[in-house]
Amino acid sequence: MQSPKIEGATPVVTATIDPERWVEEHSDCLYRCALLRVRRPEIAEDLVQETFLAAVRTSGSFRGKSSERTWLCGILKNKICDHFRKIGRETSFTDLEFLNDELSHKFVPQGFWNHEHGPLEWKPEAEVVMHRAEFWETLRNCLSKLPERVADVFMLREMEEMETEQICRDLNISPSNLWVMLHRARMALRECLEMNWFKDPRQEGG
Amino acid sequence: MSGDYNPAPEGNPSVLTRRNRFQTALVKFIGERTPKCRQVVRILSQSMDSKLSLTVRIKLRLHYLICAWYQRYEKQLHELRKFASSVPDHLNDFSADTLSPTAKKRMREALRKDRRE
Repeated sequence: MQSPKIEGATPVVTATIDPERWVEEHSDCLYRCALLRVRRPEIAEDLVQETFLAAVRTSGSFRGKSSERTWLCGILKNKICDHFRKIGRETSFTDLEFLNDELSHKFVPQGFWNHEHGPLEWKPEAEVVMHRAEFWETLRNCLSKLPERVADVFMLREMEEMETEQICRDLNISPSNLWVMLHRARMALRECLEMNWFKDPRQEGG
Repeated sequence: MSGDYNPAPEGNPSVLTRRNRFQTALVKFIGERTPKCRQVVRILSQSMDSKLSLTVRIKLRLHYLICAWYQRYEKQLHELRKFASSVPDHLNDFSADTLSPTAKKRMREALRKDRRE
């Protein structure tokens, strides 16, 4: 996984190591970052601590070219990858069975969309929506409704932009199961955002 | 009800909306020979992750001509990707979680202990 590139981040001039200050300045940010990926608070907390400990040991590699936070985020990302590899052993029945009817009620028996239930136009535009703080809360709620593994693969693919081959390897998932999980995750999230954010204008009218 | 098509919705982005009899026949002809919408949404999801074969791309293209929803669904899949990839930039809106003071204390202690060793 690539470490994030943050343009214009202030370089730290003096690369003195003060780990206890890191806890004050960066731990919440790292924690959110970890929580977003692993979702369990206790695991996220462990990962942040491991990140600090690893940072102390490798502080020689920190040249102050990037900001301290970017450097720490990079270490955290590696820790998160290790974590996924470690737990990447089994995909549960719940994950594979999630949305297994693939919203069949939205289609007529011949397989075409039922026009009553076709996807609505999303308004306002994505660009506009992303400036609304509440939107991100809605997205978070929708993500939390996905089974754990399904959310993992979706986020690895769409947020981390990881190649599907690598996801299959790291999480020990067959390609066909990955396609299915990604498709259902997208379908479910699309639906959830539509219901909870892009409100149905037909219902407002009625 | 084979061959029964629901009326097209308003703002239908399909090229062949408000069609005459010839066009309707064409739509049916294509509809019977290309993947149905249920499969198309699966294929569209796959197209986000890998390159589709030429045959499949041609079939999708034909389906696009007759389908009111294809374009919108595809666009929304791309928007979903955009939302997901933008989450790290909006992390503070996405979550307001913070570490508890005790957790921070634990971390400081772990670091101190590590330094002594």
